[in-house]
This record gives sequence, C-alpha cells and structure tokens, in this order.
Amino acid sequence: MICENCKQRPAKVTVTQVHNGEHFERHYCEVCANSLHPFYVEYKQDPLSLHQLLSNWFNQADQIVQQKQQKTLECDECGWSIERFLEEGKFGCASCYESFRPHLPQALKRLHNGNTTHIGKAPGRLGEKIALKKRIEAIRAQMKQAVEQEQFEDAAKLRDEVKDLEKQLAGGGDDSHVD
Amino acid sequence: MSIENFLDNSRSSWMEGEGEHSDIVMSTRIRLARNLNGFRFPLAFTEDEAHKIDQSVSSTLLDADEELQKNFTSVHIKDVSELGRQVLVEKHLISPKLANSPNTGSVLLSEDESVSVMVNEEDHIRIQCLFPGLQIQQAYERADTIDRLLEKELPYAFDEQFGYLTSCPTNTGTGLRASVMMHLPALTKTKQMNRIVTIISRLGMVVRGIYGEGSEALGNVYQVSNQTTLGKTEEDILADLQSIAEQIIQKEREARDALLQHSPNTLEDRLYRSLGTLSYARLMTTEEAARCLSDVRLGIDIGLIKDIDMSILNECMIFMQPGFLQKYAGTTLNATERDMFRAKLLRERLQKGEKDNTKGEEPA
Repeated sequence: MICENCKQRPAKVTVTQVHNGEHFERHYCEVCANSLHPFYVEYKQDPLSLHQLLSNWFNQADQIVQQKQQKTLECDECGWSIERFLEEGKFGCASCYESFRPHLPQALKRLHNGNTTHIGKAPGRLGEKIALKKRIEAIRAQMKQAVEQEQFEDAAKLRDEVKDLEKQLAGGGDDSHVD
Repeated sequence: MSIENFLDNSRSSWMEGEGEHSDIVMSTRIRLARNLNGFRFPLAFTEDEAHKIDQSVSSTLLDADEELQKNFTSVHIKDVSELGRQVLVEKHLISPKLANSPNTGSVLLSEDESVSVMVNEEDHIRIQCLFPGLQIQQAYERADTIDRLLEKELPYAFDEQFGYLTSCPTNTGTGLRASVMMHLPALTKTKQMNRIVTIISRLGMVVRGIYGEGSEALGNVYQVSNQTTLGKTEEDILADLQSIAEQIIQKEREARDALLQHSPNTLEDRLYRSLGTLSYARLMTTEEAARCLSDVRLGIDIGLIKDIDMSILNECMIFMQPGFLQKYAGTTLNATERDMFRAKLLRERLQKGEKDNTKGEEPA
C-alpha cells in the first residue's frame, strides 16, 4: 500500500479518526504520519511528583492492592483513604499516621535516606518519658550483661535502678495533654 | 506595630550583612513544622477549625510574656492587599503558599522580622527564623525557644515512632528544614556548581537556585538545605549543614582567588561594567539587575569595589522584585514600566549609597 498523502513511500502507519461517530482509517508513511499527526504525549505539570513516587513505592509491595480488594483503608478521623493520601502526597490529619501505620515505613524509608524512626526532639513531658524509656532499656541491657558475667550484685543494683525508673515512668503523673 | 511598617521597609534584620561569612552566606533560615492534635491538617480542615487553631496559637504566643507581646504582630492574610502579600513573600517573611491562603492563613511577625510564625500554611504552625550570615545554631535556638513556648500550652501532634506529625511525609520526624542562602558567583563562573550540586544531593542535602525558576540561579544565589528530617537528631542535621556550608564557602573562596589571580583585569572590568550598568541604565529587567548586583557584590567582597555598603546591595536585591517595586511606585506597573522604575531606583540607591557610606549615615 502506498501512503495516501505523498503517494510515494509505502504506508506503514494507520491513523484512525473518529468524526461524527464515523471511523475513518488513513494510511500514511512514517514521514507523513509524523508531520500530519505528531504523537502527542501529555505531560502533567509536574512530571515527577511526590505522590507519583509514593504510589509507585506502595504498589511495589502489592499490599495496598490486596487491601483494596477487601476494603479501602480509611482514616477514622478525617475519612481520607490511603488512595487519597497517595494522590495528594499529603496526610489529611495526624491520625492518618495511625490509620496507615503499617504501610508508612516503606515510603518514609525512601524519603528519608532509609530511616523510619524519629530520634530527635520530643515535646515536653513526652520527651522526658521517651528519654526515661531509653534509659531503662540501656540499663536492662547492662543488667543482662552483668548476669551473663555472673556479677549478680551489680545486676541486682541495676534491677533496683530499673524498678525506680519504671515507677517514675508509671507515676510520671499528668501527661494527659501530650498523649 | 502595624502591617504597613513591614511592607514599607525594604530592609530586614537578615539583610544587615552581619554574621559569619557574610561575604558568601547571605542568610540562614530555620523552619520547624508543627501541628496540633485534634484538628485536621490545613489541606482537609474547615474554616472553623482554622479559626480555632489561629486563636490558640496567636493567644499562646502573645500572652506568653510581655516581651513577646510587644515584639510580635499578628497579621491575617485576608487583611493584607494582594500587593502587600507579594511584598511579604519577596521579603521571605511568608511563603507563597500562605499568601495564597487568604481565608485561613495568618502570620505572627517579630518586630525585627527575624521570626515569623505562619499559622495554617501547609501545617498548622510553621516557625521560621531568618538570620544574616551563617548562624545555623543561633537561628535554631531562637526557633527552639518559640517551639518550647508553644508546646507548653498546645498539644502537639507527635508520635513516638514518627516524631512530629506533618502534613507532608517529607517533613515527618523533626519537622526541621535548615537552609543557608549562599552567593556563589566564582563557583558559577568557573562552572563548578553542577558538580557540587551532584555531590551534595548524595549527602541528603538539596541545592536550589533561589529568586529564579529552572537551572540557572538568578543572581548566583543558591539555597542549600537538608532533605532528611527523619532518623536524624536536630543536632546532626544542623551539624551536617554547617559542615557542608563551610566546605562550599571554602571552595568559593578558592575559586575567587583563582579568578583574581588568573584574570584580575578581566574580572575588574566585568565587575565595574556591572556597576556602570546599575548606575546609569534606564531599563533594567529582574534578570539583568540580579546579574549586575551579583557582580557588584563580588566586587565588594574581594575588595575591588570599595565605596558601596553591602547592606544597600541586599536591599537592592529585595526591592528590585516586582511586588516591592510596585509598592514603592504606589501603583501597578506593566513590565516595561517596572523595568524603567527598577533602573531608576537602582540608580538612585547606588549613588545615594556611595554618598551615605562615606558619611556613615542611615539611609532614609
């Protein structure tokens, strides 16, 4: 078949046009097809946006897809679904973090150089509480080591220390406004 | 203090050309993103929620103590004219996003303009501190003080695993963005910026040209900031930025020395030509003004141009922007009129600057 336009080169491209509900087929060579019907690719304004990246990362794990089939994951507080979060690239409210918690580390990891856990400052009393918890963990580790080395006296001292700190943690009193 | 004071004055404390390495680092900015428990984020909230957030943040800050009360002015975006908003953006006192939230946004500005607490931007609270020169630690401490003051009264959205909860997952954790604005003409002229941008991005930092879109940084001014906010302590983030900034400063100084050594006459000629253009041109686009001001700034820094004060240059960088220009003119201007008015202001300012500097007078 010869190109309908230049009537010289062989037709290699078929262009289907729809006009008033009727389909027309045109046969062009590559050169004419290119000049008559340049191939349009519509880029969105922001070709590489955060939400696209997020969606890609989530889909890699396929978990969301499965979840979708059962029931859409939604935030109880603001009603945003996980799809909406992926679409916007933003959370609707602080409770979204809780609602989508199992899925967040894999996305956060990629945004933050492999990190998934905050280790910086914490507000007021909660900060103190977290510091206390960390201290207890550290002392427990020391205690374990002491037991392994059969230094039971040291271990006992450390155990008492842990007890005191745990009491402080429990009796930390009024932390209602930070939780 | 009324909003007009902030709008009329083209100077801010961060432009005073003080602080360490102020020949290369123009300013340091710290931003903390915070949200309150019990309210949806600005993307999803109602105007009623916005109003309550605004009330509690403003009153916490203003009632905290008399010192602060005197110091801070609360400004609702809806009360500011469109031009006024643009001016606030150009002075870096508010973000473009806040300027575009007329119904819900407000800002608390400190008198010296070094602190602005934006309310209902992307997050409920954005504490921003802007200091001249390289003062990462100092700026952070100021922001931290405000943060502690607010957290005493307000229930922050915080999670033990994820830290401060923010609307965008790129801010989750510390909610801290620390950035330095650097003037790097010699690295740009010697074509080393691309390489530096690549290296820095591998270290979890971002380099962007400011005052301009696209790859070419307008006026050779770049902004270096941390990208990671999760899994690093505030101290580490600040220390990393400090160390990278110092290395870039070092490289820029080396490049300046090299330029001076290899082609002192060409350099001097080029810088003085730019001063000539600024002093006599009748039409000046933003791009040309930025390029010429960058040259003159470099000339002052390396001691080739002696009789112009640096703070005047910083001021010129601000008022040559479209919003400020129209504020000065007191009317809206089309592009050509802006170029004319810009040229006129720069001419007057630079000639005045030369005179003023010798007398050591404060400019009016």
